Amino acid sequence: MLKPLSASKWNYTTAAHLLNRAGFGGPPAQIEELVALGPEKSVSLLLDYEKIPDPTPDPEWARPDPTRMAALREMRSAPMEEKQQMQKDERQLQRQRMMKLRGWWFGRMASGPRPLQEKMVLFWHGHFATSVEKVRDAYYMWRQNELFRRLATGNWQQLLTAVAKDPAMLIWLDQAQSRKNHPNENFAREVMELFALGEGHYTEKDITEAARALTGWSLNREEQSFVDRPRIHDTGEKTFLGKTGNLDGNDVIAQIVAQPQAARFISAKLWNYFAGEAPSDELNSQLAAVFRKSGNNFKPLLRVMFASEEFYSPSVVRNQVKSPVQWLVGSVRVLEMQLPPPIVCWGMTRNLGQDLFAPPNVKGWDGGVTWITTNNLLARYNQAAALVQGDYSGMSGANFAKKPGQGDRAEKVLKKIRPQAADVGKIFTEKERTDKTALVAALEKRLLQSKLKEKQARTLQEFLDSQGQLDDGDILTAIRLVMSTPEYQLT
Amino acid sequence: MKPDSTLKTRREFLRTTVLGSAMSWTVPAFLSNTFAALHANAADSSTQIATGRDSTILVVLQMAGGNDGLNTLVPHSNDHYRSARPKLALKAEDVLKINDDVALHKSLAGFKGLYDAGQLSIVQGVGYPNPNRSHFRSTEIWQTASDSNRFESTGWLGRYFDNTCSGCDPTVGVTIGRSMPQAFAAKKPKGICFDDPKNYRFKKADKPGADEMDTTEESYRKLNEPDEAMMMSDNSGGTIAAISGAATHSGAPLDFIERTALDAQVSSEQVRAIAAKAENKAVYPSSQLANSLKLVAKLIGGGMATRVYYVSQGGYDTHTNQLPAQERLLRDLGDSVKAFMDDMKAQGNTGRVLVMTFSEFGRRVAENANGGTDHGAAAPLFIIGGKVKSGLLGKYPSLAPGDLFQGDIKYTVDFRSVYAGVLEEWLNTKSTPVLGKKFEPMRVV
Repeated sequence: MLKPLSASKWNYTTAAHLLNRAGFGGPPAQIEELVALGPEKSVSLLLDYEKIPDPTPDPEWARPDPTRMAALREMRSAPMEEKQQMQKDERQLQRQRMMKLRGWWFGRMASGPRPLQEKMVLFWHGHFATSVEKVRDAYYMWRQNELFRRLATGNWQQLLTAVAKDPAMLIWLDQAQSRKNHPNENFAREVMELFALGEGHYTEKDITEAARALTGWSLNREEQSFVDRPRIHDTGEKTFLGKTGNLDGNDVIAQIVAQPQAARFISAKLWNYFAGEAPSDELNSQLAAVFRKSGNNFKPLLRVMFASEEFYSPSVVRNQVKSPVQWLVGSVRVLEMQLPPPIVCWGMTRNLGQDLFAPPNVKGWDGGVTWITTNNLLARYNQAAALVQGDYSGMSGANFAKKPGQGDRAEKVLKKIRPQAADVGKIFTEKERTDKTALVAALEKRLLQSKLKEKQARTLQEFLDSQGQLDDGDILTAIRLVMSTPEYQLT
Repeated sequence: MKPDSTLKTRREFLRTTVLGSAMSWTVPAFLSNTFAALHANAADSSTQIATGRDSTILVVLQMAGGNDGLNTLVPHSNDHYRSARPKLALKAEDVLKINDDVALHKSLAGFKGLYDAGQLSIVQGVGYPNPNRSHFRSTEIWQTASDSNRFESTGWLGRYFDNTCSGCDPTVGVTIGRSMPQAFAAKKPKGICFDDPKNYRFKKADKPGADEMDTTEESYRKLNEPDEAMMMSDNSGGTIAAISGAATHSGAPLDFIERTALDAQVSSEQVRAIAAKAENKAVYPSSQLANSLKLVAKLIGGGMATRVYYVSQGGYDTHTNQLPAQERLLRDLGDSVKAFMDDMKAQGNTGRVLVMTFSEFGRRVAENANGGTDHGAAAPLFIIGGKVKSGLLGKYPSLAPGDLFQGDIKYTVDFRSVYAGVLEEWLNTKSTPVLGKKFEPMRVV
């Protein structure tokens, strides 16, 4: 098990698979480049991303604002009418910044030079699923996103510690309000249940003890940063996962990471994320062993995973349901087109069940086949028309509504946007644009990196035949049709 | 009519219409024929098949986040309640008295009206042994009806469909929302979900001419058709989902998506036709829950064959500043459900519907330092309908400190006996196969 994939099995399909999973996919030319590089160098190209400069600038508001607390205080004590206006302004400011932040991240995923790093940021966002609905501050959300980026493939203990001290997380799971007389168990529970060990590997008593140990780790709202406050720390003796003493937050994290189960848990979750299925017990043991041997560092584990035979087995390749983000970003990448404006990206992914920076709960998105419902599937098919043909008529409804019953907002929002269709001349050759059989083959190669069922290919061919001489609009419709198949929902 | 001939008719239909002339295919005719046949079968059986136009309907209403039961059904004269909650205990003027011991939160005026009309029953102290205080785990326990130390992959409603539904169409279960609750997870998944009927369809693009777009839609249908081999294959089940899934190995994502694609096609025309035609005959508040219930009312009025609807309301995780938040949520709940029942009355369907609420847990007896409450255990649930056994059911758990377990009240009614009552007495099916073991059915109707 975990043998490296032999060079003889390296071809367009396997290279495309690597690019799809370790990134967000790419056009045929990029896949061919990886084919030429061979498996080992291809993995390095994606994984050793530090070697590639990423010049994306931070949003201009992405720094601590020393006047913010004073402003919020002023808002709270202002007379009623003034207060309402100030609250409205604050909400609007945060909404604008969040939209900017979403666009900024979508941009990095769709055209940034380090797709694997962004894919890991997306993993960590789903793993430590924190929502702006409670945090209510775009700066904190950006900061957490940057933390995931900085430690994307780093050390597990370092990452867990940083997350425990992250302002957005301190707010999200109420650690900021925990003190020795009233320890709040929310973070203590989830760090074990959802982040690092999984249900059944600790007791209720471990939770209350961890909550006591974590008291003192708090948020300095004035400076918008983590603070350790000894005065609210419970200095009494605690026993946590078998260790006894005046334990603190660092002890809690260290003790969690020291559990053999910790390595099993996170390596299984990573395998599931990249391979699209839970690993067998045996495979999980091997992955966990690699992880522990490396000192709980993610990069060596990922290198072994992406190079392994198992990662390219038939049950893995083209058998993962695309997440809404993968659907959007991947489509933009294979079609070599610009991302739609941030509000459209947000509306599309949210409509398909994945609202970045606002996961449904701390468990994150369930993923897999749960992305697909009758409703979401039709929405994918309709949004394919919006994306490819630049026809937003299929996107009406509640997509952009802040609250239910504001469906009309969609039309208003969309009216202001000049949609861009995919550029047929850029992605298909002259021959492909005129020879229908060649076009079907090119569509399969670019969009699916594999073949349609024979009957489907015939249907597509018949559609093209019925259009007579092809114009760009017909080809765009054909792209939309391929995207409106069950097969396209997989990667 | 024998089941065999029903199924043959059904396969016949699927072959000739779906595969033959998709464009001329009209769903409702097919559905009503099939249902009529299946319903006739069911008449002789002790178990009612989960489909049919005149059958009883269950509406499950999830109050997500863990509703504070103590401030919902308030033990207003209880000293332990007042001493545990110096800030949060509700005053006499903030409650609607049921009797000398308990009262409803004042913003549940809608529920009080239903209670007085004999259409609301309150089941007290509902929970389960060894309660779990994690949202996700406890929600999962309620959704799968499992013991708290066991993990079930299927949901209780999914198992109900698996047990009674070999022949019903995908609309037997309808979730209003973007994703399917775990309660619907089944060996052979059934049910559809959507949040807005207008968008529940394959849309034609605007630009090209009409003829051209018909070609696009026809191509879409063909691209999403299951293989003929699948459709022709013999199958002991009878649903579209089962037939389309029979020929491929189960569990594969592609298989799942293909089945969903077919279910989407089948149900989309029907849902849209009904939603466009039907009208609400009551005044609802303006909220997401109210919008969901409005839609459910339309679908019921329009004659959908649905037996189980699922709606949800979120926001009950009140760790901080609970009073205003819960007041708003409960008002929305009471007013929305009251409007829904008014709508049912106008439709003449009061006696056909049963609304059951649930929340994954109640909250601690003691308030926390942030004007809120933390995750707890047992809580009341509500059952609403024209035929409910109105009044207080079960027993209010003791709040005496010595009777608490880790600061939580102990349950007096296992939620699965409520499910058992709903299954046996309302959905007319045996509860043991669905719940995995015998629970004493609570007399809910």
